[in-house]
Amino acid sequence: MDYYLEFNGQQIETDKAGYLLRVADWQPALAPELAKQEDIELSEAHWEVVNFVRNFYLEFETSPAMRALVKAMALTLGSEKGNSRYLFRLFPKGPAKQATKIAGLPKPAKCL
Amino acid sequence: MATISLLITSAPLMSQSAHSALRFAQTVVQSEHTLQGVFFYSEGVHNANGLQLTPSDEHRLYAAWCELALQHGCPLLVCVTAATKRGILSIKDAKENDLNHTTLEAPFQSVGLGELSELIHSSDRLIQF
Amino acid sequence: MKESSNQLAVLNRCGPYAGNSAQESLELVMAMSNFGQEVSVFFIEDGVYQLLTNQNPSIIGRKHFTKGFAALHFYDIENIYVCANSLLERGLTPDDLMMEAQALSKDEISGLLQNHKQVIRF
Repeated sequence: MDYYLEFNGQQIETDKAGYLLRVADWQPALAPELAKQEDIELSEAHWEVVNFVRNFYLEFETSPAMRALVKAMALTLGSEKGNSRYLFRLFPKGPAKQATKIAGLPKPAKCL
Repeated sequence: MATISLLITSAPLMSQSAHSALRFAQTVVQSEHTLQGVFFYSEGVHNANGLQLTPSDEHRLYAAWCELALQHGCPLLVCVTAATKRGILSIKDAKENDLNHTTLEAPFQSVGLGELSELIHSSDRLIQF
Repeated sequence: MKESSNQLAVLNRCGPYAGNSAQESLELVMAMSNFGQEVSVFFIEDGVYQLLTNQNPSIIGRKHFTKGFAALHFYDIENIYVCANSLLERGLTPDDLMMEAQALSKDEISGLLQNHKQVIRF
């Protein structure tokens, strides 16, 4: 079965869980749509994390696991934002899962 | 007396390693040492494929692993990411991906790498095959 | 070099695209660190090729997973060692590598491995 997201009259392919199949298909305007599926309304704070996670993936070809996300955010944005409580408040079902989805990144490995 | 865990990264037919692993495991459970668990990763996940049809005059490695687990309560843990990549799927993995076939069944268990981390912590020795 | 009796050593001996083991090694290293396990990473023999700069694996249909090495410090993995003998045998120098790794002789590497409680090799 194929899964896709309707957007501006286009069908953008996703996996069953709603993650985009191609990183390059993402554009900022898609993020609110993806966030809606996660019951998240994007604030400035969400956007900061979404962009951070996407840039991390583009640079390192891997999405950060929780430990790395916390450390990388702490180094660039300070420890107020680089901590798991802050990140879980923004993404209650797990920043690694939800921020990657909204950022158009592949579904994180299940074994983490 | 030591607690020992095995990490299997070799496929059943690619070398002697998987057979050696089984023989090692069988020896451990007969000894005064404890076999804490067996973790299958990378190419090693092929050992967990329940659809292996081994000719009757060849050694049935898969059946021997199952017997070891059932008789000695030793967990057979399979990395879900390495396994699903290679078509080794539990019912849950199959359903989540709209597939009709499953290849991984008990006593093998589809788990995360956190389980390997636990084994490493709780074992005196990790032996890789 | 610090004493690291509780650490896990991961030994990489294969080229980056020789099979899938180099990629799965890196995935294992990141996962172990994420679960709080201290990890040291070693590159020996053909494993040193994993660290070469200017890789372009997409032309052979492979994921550029080696970009992930540069993220290891976010996983608090600072102990990264490369075998100086293996580099020399392959006509490589530390300048050919994408990241800083401590170059050690074969003997230094075997000595250091003794300090690790568990070793996993790929």
